[in-house]
Amino acid sequence: MALLACIALSSFLFTADPKGNLSISPVRVFPSKTNRYPRRKQEMGFVNFNISADLTSLFHWKTKQLFLYLEAEYQNTQGILCVNNTVVVWDRIVRRKEDAVINFAGKNKYAFREISSSFKKVPSSHYSLKYNVMPYVGVLTYGEAARTAEAVDFVWEEHV
Amino acid sequence: MFGKLGLRVFLLQAMTISSSLASPFMIWKGLSLVTNTESPVVVVLSGSMEPAFYRGDILFLTNPRPESEEPQSLYKTGDILVYKIPGKDIPIVHRVIEAHDFYSEIVPSDADEGVAESTSDTAQDAGRGGSQRSPRSDLKQLMLTKGDNNPVDDLGLYDGLDWLERRHIVGRVRGYLPYVGYISIFLNEARQLLLSRPGAFSLKHILYSKWRAS
Repeated sequence: MALLACIALSSFLFTADPKGNLSISPVRVFPSKTNRYPRRKQEMGFVNFNISADLTSLFHWKTKQLFLYLEAEYQNTQGILCVNNTVVVWDRIVRRKEDAVINFAGKNKYAFREISSSFKKVPSSHYSLKYNVMPYVGVLTYGEAARTAEAVDFVWEEHV
Repeated sequence: MFGKLGLRVFLLQAMTISSSLASPFMIWKGLSLVTNTESPVVVVLSGSMEPAFYRGDILFLTNPRPESEEPQSLYKTGDILVYKIPGKDIPIVHRVIEAHDFYSEIVPSDADEGVAESTSDTAQDAGRGGSQRSPRSDLKQLMLTKGDNNPVDDLGLYDGLDWLERRHIVGRVRGYLPYVGYISIFLNEARQLLLSRPGAFSLKHILYSKWRAS
């Protein structure tokens, strides 16, 4: 029991803080519909991005896997309420140190939509690459590897 | 009947037994208070969070109170939460992939260019907002979760709800211990087996005691 506690507490000794690079193209917004409410209009955002990061320093003897996720953050208002929105658009599980060097260009895995159905009131969004270190035993830790320095605009394509 | 010494010994034994029964219960309840969750330790029952969590693993939960002004009381994307849908008994352990945090803040009148100027972008910083923000006890969040091993999000599990709210959350996973939970799963299934076949149990008991006696 004491051994397990020591192993668990040793999570705090690891202070790696790897950084990477993110580049995001302007988000293209298209009108669409959701599966659940087919009559309701819902705008969808399409994010094309480029990620590069070297996360090998996060892999030590206690690391079981890394969960990486790219998330979009933006603000909106609803009446007098101010809403902070965070949406994960892409994620990846890394189970080996060799796979921890990320060089990936792609688009969002998950639907990027606004709860108010439209992005019109949202000026721009920021993106960050975060990670969750999941140990064999012990405390789960989180960190941020990269963040966009400038806000990314929303772009409405000409549509019919 | 006991004799003077016998009574003391008996009382001492009774006290030892009842304190050893009460201690785990007290520890459990104490842990619940400290972590602010109704079940600070849970066992993983399904494979929807593999390869991180397997059936039989143990998870340690916390649930910081919003009134304590801790920035961690805000649930964020990436957090692994245990939640229960009202009407369904089984708690589910999945990861937050969308979070929408509602603050009742008066929007500043000079913010015509958008609300971005009044706050910083991360949900983390929002916790330290200070004077512009209303007390955290009325914090409303709408969340969407998904199991790492599932291809789609949990919307179908919400039993008609469009979003998870703070009131559905039992706690957030902070720590992890593999395999140990199998004891609990095993005990639960053994208990169900015994309860469902009481006749068989007592028959075995009778046979066993006859065998002992002979």
